[in-house]
Amino acid sequence: MLGQLILSGIATGSLYALTAIAVVLVFRNTRTINLAQGDFAMVGAFLGIYFLKQLGFSYYTTVLLVVASTTLLGVAVEWLIMRPIAKSDWLTLFTATIGVFYILTGVMGWIWGRDTKAFPVNFDPTPIDLGGALISMGHLYNIGWALAIGVVLYWFFNHTKQGIAMRAVTDDPEIAHLMGIPVKFIVMLTWGVAGFIAGFVGILIAPIIYVSPEMMDEVLVKAYVAAVFGGLYSIRGAVIGALMIGVAENLAGGYLDSSLKTSTAFIMIVVLLAFRPQGLIGVQKRREI
Amino acid sequence: MGEHLRCQDIQVSFGGVRACNNLSLTVPRGKIIGLIGPNGAGKTTLFNVLSRFQSYDAGDVYFEGKLANDRMPHHMVSMGMARTFQNINLFKDQTTLQNIMTGAHGQIGNPISAMCWLPAARRRERQIEDYAIHVADMLNLTPELENEVGNLPYGHQKRVELARALASRPSMLLLDEPVAGCNDSETQELKELVFKVNREMGVTVLLVEHDMSMVMEVCDFIYVINFGANLAMGTPGEVRANKDVIAAYLGEDDD
Amino acid sequence: MSKVPITKAASNNLESSPKYAPVRALKQRYTRQNLIAVAILVALAILIPLLPQVKGWMLSQVSLVIIYIIAAMGVAVLVGFTGLVSVGHGGFLAIGAYTSALLTKYFGVDLIIGLISAMFVSAFLGALLAVVFVRLSGAFMAIGTLGFAFFVGTVVNNVSIFEGRDGIFLDNNVILGIRIEDFGFYYTSVASLLLVTLAVYCLVNSGTGRAFMALRDSENAAKASGVNRLLYRVLAFAISAGITGIAGALNAHVVNYVSAEVYADIWYSVDILIAVVVGGPAILFGPYLGGIFVVMLPFFLERLADFSFILKGVVLIAVLRFAPAGVGELILRPLRIARRRKLRSVAAGLRESEVG
Repeated sequence: MLGQLILSGIATGSLYALTAIAVVLVFRNTRTINLAQGDFAMVGAFLGIYFLKQLGFSYYTTVLLVVASTTLLGVAVEWLIMRPIAKSDWLTLFTATIGVFYILTGVMGWIWGRDTKAFPVNFDPTPIDLGGALISMGHLYNIGWALAIGVVLYWFFNHTKQGIAMRAVTDDPEIAHLMGIPVKFIVMLTWGVAGFIAGFVGILIAPIIYVSPEMMDEVLVKAYVAAVFGGLYSIRGAVIGALMIGVAENLAGGYLDSSLKTSTAFIMIVVLLAFRPQGLIGVQKRREI
Repeated sequence: MGEHLRCQDIQVSFGGVRACNNLSLTVPRGKIIGLIGPNGAGKTTLFNVLSRFQSYDAGDVYFEGKLANDRMPHHMVSMGMARTFQNINLFKDQTTLQNIMTGAHGQIGNPISAMCWLPAARRRERQIEDYAIHVADMLNLTPELENEVGNLPYGHQKRVELARALASRPSMLLLDEPVAGCNDSETQELKELVFKVNREMGVTVLLVEHDMSMVMEVCDFIYVINFGANLAMGTPGEVRANKDVIAAYLGEDDD
Repeated sequence: MSKVPITKAASNNLESSPKYAPVRALKQRYTRQNLIAVAILVALAILIPLLPQVKGWMLSQVSLVIIYIIAAMGVAVLVGFTGLVSVGHGGFLAIGAYTSALLTKYFGVDLIIGLISAMFVSAFLGALLAVVFVRLSGAFMAIGTLGFAFFVGTVVNNVSIFEGRDGIFLDNNVILGIRIEDFGFYYTSVASLLLVTLAVYCLVNSGTGRAFMALRDSENAAKASGVNRLLYRVLAFAISAGITGIAGALNAHVVNYVSAEVYADIWYSVDILIAVVVGGPAILFGPYLGGIFVVMLPFFLERLADFSFILKGVVLIAVLRFAPAGVGELILRPLRIARRRKLRSVAAGLRESEVG
C-alpha cells in the first residue's frame, strides 16, 4: 500500500514538477507569475483531441504537433502581450497573464464547448506489479516522459548556447545584455520553453483527468506551491517540492481522509511560508520584488 | 545632561568583510556630534545599526539609557530617534504635506480609532497637520506643501526628508550626509537649520558628512572612524590636528 | 504607543496656523464636491429599481453588481492603498457567505446581525492568514493567498456542516422582524455599499491610511516614519477581508442559497482582483467601475459566455497597457490634475505672507 501510494504520488508529482519548472523559468527571467501556464497545457490537450480524432493522426505525430503549437503559443503570448508591458511592476505582468488565461479559456470553450471530453488515448488499465506496488501503465508512462523531458531540459540549460544564455539572463539581465546576449530573444525563448513543457503536460494529463477549459486549475495551484518550495527560483527545489506534494497528498488521501487530499498543498505551503519564507531548497540569490 | 545614545563594540560583517569592527561612541544629550571617515569606513553601516535598520553580530546599543539591541526601526522612532537617508527615501507620489504628516505617525494614537474618525482621533489629526505645517514653515517648504515630492529639486527633497524626521518630534536626529549633492547656498541653509533644530528645539544631532567645512563648523565633537574601527575623537580643532586622521584622509581625494 | 518627547517648539506652537487657511478652505470645498457626487450616486442607486424593466431577476443582477463593488472595495484596500496583493479574496467571500448562512439557518438571526458577524469572522480569519503571510514579498503572497482560496473551497466542499454541493437553502431575509423582499434587499445592499465607501474614505484620509500608503510607496521611508510594518500589514488584511466578508454575506442572501458549487471556484478571487485592476485600485471610485464591468459583461453577453471571457481578457490587457492606473483614473485624471494644480498654486502663493 505504502509503496503504491508513493509511486502514484510521484507520477502525479512529476506533472506538477513539469508545470512548476515552467512557472519558475518564466518567473525568474521575467518577474511574471504566469497564471496562463495551465491554460497552455489545456490548449495542448484540446489540440491533441483534435489531431487524434478529427484529423486521425498517430499518437506521436500528435505529440509533436501539439508541442510545436504550444511552443508557438508561448512565443506569441510573449511577443503580442507581455513584451509591450515588460517594464511594468510584477502585479501588472501577473494580471496580464490573467487576461491571457481568460482569452484562452474563452476561445477553447467557444470552439469546443464547456463540457468535459475524454481523451481518445487510453492506457491499459491493468496495473503492473513493481515489487509489491501496483501501478498503472499510464502512471509509469508519465514518469518516463517527465524524466525524458527533464533530461532534455538539463541538456538544454547546460549544453546549448541558448540555454546557457537563458541562465545568464536569470542571474543578471543587465550584465547579460552587456555581454551581448540578446535578452529580448531569450525572454521570448523562455516563454517558448514554457509552452513546450505545457504541451507535454497537456498531452500527458489529458487521459487522467479528462479535457475541459478548467482542467488545469488544480494542477496549476499545486505547481505554484511547488515553485514556492524552490523560492520561485530554484528548479531543483521546485521539482523536489512537486514530488513531495504529489506523494504527501496521496498519503494523506490514502491514510487519513480523501477530502484532505486537495488541501495538503495549502497546508504544506502555510507551514513552509511560516517557517522558511525563502523557500525550502537553498536559494542563494533571489531578486527582490 | 548625560548620555543620550551610546554604542559599545559594534561588529558587523557582510560575508567576509568587516564593516564595523568594535565601534563605540557616545552621544551626549543636546549636542551636535559628527561622524566622519573616508569612503567605506562603515559610517552608514553604523548609522543603520543605531537606527536598527541593520542587524549586527556583536555589541550593544543604548538609547535613552535603555538597551535597544532587539528593537525594530519603528520602536526607535517612537522612543524619539528620527533619521534621514543618504539616498533620499520619500513617498515620491505624495505631497510634501502628506510626507511630513506620515512622519508624525507616532502621534496618530490607536489605528482603529484613527480610521473610524473618532472625535479624539480627529483632534490628533488636526494637531499633526498643524505641526506639519509649522515644520514646513521652519524649513521654508510652505509653498511646496501641496506639490508632489517627486517634482521637487534635490535640495528641497533633502529638506522634506528632514521635515519628515522632525515631524516625529524626536529627541535625537540622525542625519546621513545631509548636504551631499547640495550647492553652496543650500548647504549654508541646511547648516543653519541644523543649528536651529539643535539650539531652539533642543534636539541632539548625530551626523555623517563628507563636507568637512560643514562638519567642522557645526559639530561640538567629532568621531573619526576608518576601516570600521574608531580612529580618533575630539573637538573639531583636535581632530583637524590629529596625525592619524590626516594620514587616513591623505589616502583619498579630499571631498 | 510609548511617550513621545515633546520638544520646546512643539509645545508652544500648536495653535492652528492661519497661514494655511486658504489651502484648507479649498480642500474642504473639494471634499464637499466629492460628497455631492456621492449623494448623486446614491440617489441614482435609490432610483434604479423604479425603472419598469428592473424587477425580479434583473433586480438581483443589480444587487450583484453592488455586492461585487463591495468585494472589490475590500481588495482595493490591499492592492491600491497598501501595495499588497491577494488572489484569495474569494475565500473571504465564502467565509462571509457561510458565516451568515449558518447563523441564519441555525439561529435565525437578523440579516443585519448576519452581515456584521460575517464582517468580524472574515476580518479575524484575514488577520490570522496575514500573520502567516505578512513577511512575504508580493509574488509569494499572491501564490499563498491563491492557495488559501483553494483551501477554503476544499473545506466547504468536504466538511459536512457546509453541506457541499447540495448547498444550504435559506428562508427569506428578515430585518428587525420584518421580512424583506427583493427591493428591501437591494436597498440593504446599497446602504452597505454606502457605509463601506464612507469607511474606506475615512480610512484613506486618516493616519492609519497614511501608514498603509507609506508601506506601499517606500518601505524604508515608512520604517523611518515609525510605521510598524507587520502590524499595519495585518491590519490592512483584516480590514480588507472584513469588507469582502460583508459582500460574501450579501451574496449568500441575494439568492438565499449557498453552495460549494459557487464558493469552491477559485476564479472568483481572480474576478474580484480584475475588477479592482480594471477600475483603478488607488481611487475610491475604481471598484465601482470594475464591479460593473465584471458583472455586467457576462450579463449582456449571456448567450455568449465564452465570448464574454475573451472580451474580459482583451479589455484587461488593453487597460494594463494603455491605462495602467485603471479606467477610473483615466476618467478622473483631468479633474485630479486640475484640483492638484489649483491646490499647488494656492499653496505656492503662501510664500508672500511668509517672506514678510
